[in-house]
Amino acid sequence: MFEPDEELIGRVLRQLRRPVTVDASLDARVMEQVRRHPPRRAAGAAQAAWGWLTRPRTIRLSPLGALAIAAVFVAVVLGRPDRSSRSTAASGREFAFVVVAPRATTVSLVGDFNDWDAARTPMRRVRQDESVWAAVIPLTPGRYRYAFLVDGVRWLADPAAPAARDDEYGAPSSVVTVGGS
Amino acid sequence: MGIHSVGTSDVEAVRRVLGGDTEAYATLVARYRDRLARYAVHMLGNREDAEEALQDAFVRAYRSLERCDDAARFGAWLYGILVNRCRTTGARAAKRGRVFVRDEAALNGVAHASAAEQTEGEDVVRWALARLTPEYREAFLLKHVEDLEYEEMARLTGAGVSALKMRVKRAREQLQAILREAERV
Repeated sequence: MFEPDEELIGRVLRQLRRPVTVDASLDARVMEQVRRHPPRRAAGAAQAAWGWLTRPRTIRLSPLGALAIAAVFVAVVLGRPDRSSRSTAASGREFAFVVVAPRATTVSLVGDFNDWDAARTPMRRVRQDESVWAAVIPLTPGRYRYAFLVDGVRWLADPAAPAARDDEYGAPSSVVTVGGS
Repeated sequence: MGIHSVGTSDVEAVRRVLGGDTEAYATLVARYRDRLARYAVHMLGNREDAEEALQDAFVRAYRSLERCDDAARFGAWLYGILVNRCRTTGARAAKRGRVFVRDEAALNGVAHASAAEQTEGEDVVRWALARLTPEYREAFLLKHVEDLEYEEMARLTGAGVSALKMRVKRAREQLQAILREAERV
């Protein structure tokens, strides 16, 4: 038998679990947009940017930093002028977000620039045997909050960037400000 | 119920869409539309914002479909996109000053005037739900209305299991307090 409070919540849940139907025209609106926007393919600017990012180079880490990597995450944001002429990349400079996450299985970059959608900017290992994860995205001038989502559950601010103070959801996040040129 | 794979149907539809058959996506939209709408409507508190978030989630899912690693779990993947869209839409609505209840003073009046008759009514429940913080409302809906496991919720929200359990507990306590208060008036 339910306690009175459980009974109250039970009544709320019965109501909230009722089916909700939306206007069937939603299907048509979705399909109209879908027909206009083909799925993104990993090609063009993104591949060019990835090629730039994964080109062999030295990542400078102090011995102390290397020790820190063993236990914590270190991240940096690198900027470079945009050399791409294609669509989204053409709208801003490309920025490489790099995080050192030795024990991670997956890492996503989430922020104001991708609506905090973990599916949109998965980070990739720079090299299979290293712990460095990276993603390159174009950013137009502005202020962006961002964070790293590790293994789909762990929310990390960038220790190398200023912390965001205005996060609506209480999760740690950082701020990058892109100036105009 | 939770987020269940619907097996080969989703797999086949995703395969066809990725193969260039754009119209196959309509199958997935029709299959998930109403179910996801329930979460969006309760989370955002009004149908207009919910439909906008839902439409946006479907379009984003389509455009990123090649990133759906396991087509058999397309529903769960889509759900995650919707959760994020609802967060963004909710934050924008809050910044616009539209905090789920358009005229809280008026709704307070409704609740006070007839709470006893409306305890089971949609207005009171919607009003009570809107008084929770977005984090509490999100956790409560995912756990108790959408019937997800905490591990699945953690994957969708990016929050830890312990934090989610605490949010659900607090959400229940606050809802009980709000509704009891409404009953007493």
